[in-house]
Formats: sequence, structure tokens, C-alpha cells
Amino acid sequence: MKKIWILACNTVKESFRKKTTYIIVLFALIMIASSEFFAFLSSTEQYKMITDTSFAVIEFFGFLLAMFGSISAVSSEIEKRTIYTLLTKPITRTNFVLGKYLGMFFILLINFSIMAVFFVGLLHFKKIPMDSGTFKALFLIFVEILVIASISLSLATFTSDAFNIIASSFIYIIGHLTGYGRQIIGMTKNIAVKGLADMMYTILPNYQNFTIRDKVVVGIPIPWQYVIIVTGYGIMYIVIALLIGIYFFRTREI
Amino acid sequence: MAIIETKDLTKIYTIGRKRTVVGLDHLTLEIEEGELFGILGPNGSGKTTCLKLLLGTLFPTSGEAYIMGKTPYDVSMKKEVGFLPENPYYYEYLTGRELLIFYGKLFDMDKDALNEKIEELLNLVGLHNTQKLSLRHYSKGMLERIGLAASLINDPKILILDEPTTGLDPIGCRDTRNLLIQLKEMGKTILLSSHFLSEVERVCSRIAILHRGLLLALGRLDELMSKYKSSNLEDLFVKTINEYDEKIKSQGVAQ
Repeated sequence: MKKIWILACNTVKESFRKKTTYIIVLFALIMIASSEFFAFLSSTEQYKMITDTSFAVIEFFGFLLAMFGSISAVSSEIEKRTIYTLLTKPITRTNFVLGKYLGMFFILLINFSIMAVFFVGLLHFKKIPMDSGTFKALFLIFVEILVIASISLSLATFTSDAFNIIASSFIYIIGHLTGYGRQIIGMTKNIAVKGLADMMYTILPNYQNFTIRDKVVVGIPIPWQYVIIVTGYGIMYIVIALLIGIYFFRTREI
Repeated sequence: MAIIETKDLTKIYTIGRKRTVVGLDHLTLEIEEGELFGILGPNGSGKTTCLKLLLGTLFPTSGEAYIMGKTPYDVSMKKEVGFLPENPYYYEYLTGRELLIFYGKLFDMDKDALNEKIEELLNLVGLHNTQKLSLRHYSKGMLERIGLAASLINDPKILILDEPTTGLDPIGCRDTRNLLIQLKEMGKTILLSSHFLSEVERVCSRIAILHRGLLLALGRLDELMSKYKSSNLEDLFVKTINEYDEKIKSQGVAQ
């Protein structure tokens, strides 16, 4: 566990010294602040628009941070050949993958917290009412971001950056279109296409499960039980993704 | 007793779907404890492949490799090994000192022992004044020296060095050579892969010459020079390689 912690700390240090993370977060903060643009609307509509836009911005920029951060955490070690020296030290390849993921967890936690605090501050400043639903929505967005990070990190252990970006984005989009996707599959008559699409929707994570902002914005209460179940669903995907990443990285030649 | 050992170690690289390249061909060698052993060969001869197989970053196609009787994937073996890669690349966002701290922590070194070791090594490689400079500002020679310090952070029993004098100026080369002799006197086993034949000739007691993945010559330097009627290592090296190439050429013509 100590080795994983040391590798995680180095991953965090790399992220903050490279400064690319700051740019993404800064851009996200500007986007959240720009929701002020909806000030011309009535107060109820303004509340909905600001809240909904901010949730969407946090989620999207969280996705970018998770995907690019995870890819960079692994591929920069391989491309810059630092991995070559690192793996000759007394660490296992499992330590490496878990250390990188733990590092990404802290990077995302810090950046997500900055965006979330800014968002909550904006709501407070605009005197927009908040309830537990706001925090439940934020929490589930964070869990979703952690799932995205685990998938991108796992893919980074055996694919190229370009393929990883395409695959992670594809999974992100498909994962958010599950409802529509299932409707389209229902209309398809081709058995092969239907089977393939069904299999894909069964294997890939349904990111819509983490999206409760539509309900929160209109005041529909979200039970804690739902939050717990979806968190468990997210953890299951994280564990599976990391196990796949560890398997492939253990067989990869450097 | 052999501290580093390979038995029929073979690595075949697959390029594309059909093409294969032999990186290392049934290499069998033993390196005794306390030896300063040189592994020589032209570019693409299999030197780095051999080191990567010993360190477990590559997997052999067949054969075995052992360091201290342990396989390259044994973490406990790695505690006793120091490694300097060819053209070392390190985390450019870290300072020289931070790099040594990072690697030292991976060896479970406690804070006081680590700080003491870092001071000793920074003085040894002459980077004490630039320890707080980030590695992106280091020259190639400075990176080579911080790499050498990093390879010694755990006070290893075995040192594996891949081209340690690349990028160093003549004074740096001399210092490294003296350091290798000093480390050998301290009882360390050193496996040195190098293009610089004059350096190898001055420090190594035994050598292996690889070419196209094959072991062409193995033994004590003086014995090999006498066998090949060579006055120096360069002469021995060229004769060994040419002899093999001519043999292959004549076999090709005969066929």
C-alpha cells in the first residue's frame, strides 16, 4: 500500500506542476460563472438554467479531466521512458496501475471540489435555494468521473492515446444515450445489429444512472437508497476496469 | 557463485503480422559476484534486450534469466539492483533531489537514512549545487549523473549500467570510470553495457561480445585478446564481428 501511495503522490505532483489541469478547471469556472448570462430570465427559470448549466459544465469538464488526466498519467510514463526505470525499482505492475488510479482520484477530487465549491458559492451569492438533491447530484457526477477515469486508465495500459480518446469518448456518449439507444435497438429488425447493440449496452456503463440533475432542478426528491445503489454500480465498474488494466499491463512489454 | 545468470535466453520480436527479428539468440552466461563485466556489441546486437530481459521489462521467448537466483519479476530481487538506462529520461517536473527522494522511498528507506544517502550521492556525482533545479533544466551530462546517483540510492549489490558515459564530457567519463572501479572494490557486481571500448578495456575483467543477438565471444579480456591475436579491445571487437560476418557471407555464397 505504501508503494501505491508513493506512486499516487508523484502522479498528483506531476499533474499540478504541468499546469494543464489548471487551464481546464479555469475554463470550467468561467463557464459556470457565465451562466449569469441567463439573468434576463424570470427568477425560477434563472435558477433552473444556472443549476442545470453548471451541473452539465462540471460533468463535461470532469469528463475531460478524467479522460486526459488518466491517459497522460500512464502514457507519459511510457512515451518519456520513465516507466523503464520505474519498473526496475521494487514495485509490481499492479502497484503501478493502482498508484496511478489513486493519484487520479486525488487529482479529480481536488479539481472537482474547486468546481463544486465555486458552483455552490454562485448559488449562495444568487440566493438560489439548495437542498440535499444538489449535493447528491454533485456526488454522483463525481462517481461518474471516477468511472470514466478508471476506463481511460485501463485503456491506456494497452492502447494508443488516439484510440483511447476515441474509445473513452464513444463510451461516454453511448453511456449517456442508453435510453435513446434502447429505443432504436427496439426498432431494428436486423438480429445481428440488435444483438451487438444489446451486448454493448449490457457491457458498457450506463452513465445516465449518475445523471439526476434533471430531477434535482425541478425539485423531484432523490432517495439516499438510489444514491447508494448507483455508487455501488460505479464502484463495480471501477473495480472491473482496473482489473482489466492490471491484466493487460502485466503482460505488456516495455 | 553466479549472481547473474542466463540460460538459453532468447527474445524474438514480432514486427507486424509476419516479420520476426531475433533480438537475443540462446544467450547463456554467468557473472560472478564482485565482477565488473562488460557486454559489448554494435547497435542492434542485443545488449539492451539482454538487460531488459534481466530486469523483467521484456519477457523472453524462451530461456531463463536469474539475478541472485531469483527471476526478473521477483520484487525482492529488485531491492538489491541499481539500474541506469541508456539516455536516461526522468520526471522533468521534479528537481534532482526530489527524484532521489522518490526512488529512495520506493526502496522503503527511512527519512534520515535517505537524506544522508542523498547528500552523499549528490556530492559524489557533483550535483549538490543544482539539486533544487528541475530536471528539465539539466544538460544531458547532468541527467546521466543524476541517473547514476539514482541507480545507487539503494546501495545495491548489483549495478546494471546501459551506456553510462553517453553524453558525458571527458572529465565526466573519467569520474564515472573511477567510480566504477571504486564500486567494484567495494564488492559490487557491475554489468556494464557500452560502446566505448576504451572505457570497457580499462575497467572490465571479463567481457561478452554480442552481434545480431548471438554471443560471439565470452571470457577474460586478456585470454580473448591472446586467442584472437589482438593488441587491444577495439582490434578484438572488430576481428570478432568481421569474422562472423564473413562466415555468414561465405555460407550465403556457398548456398
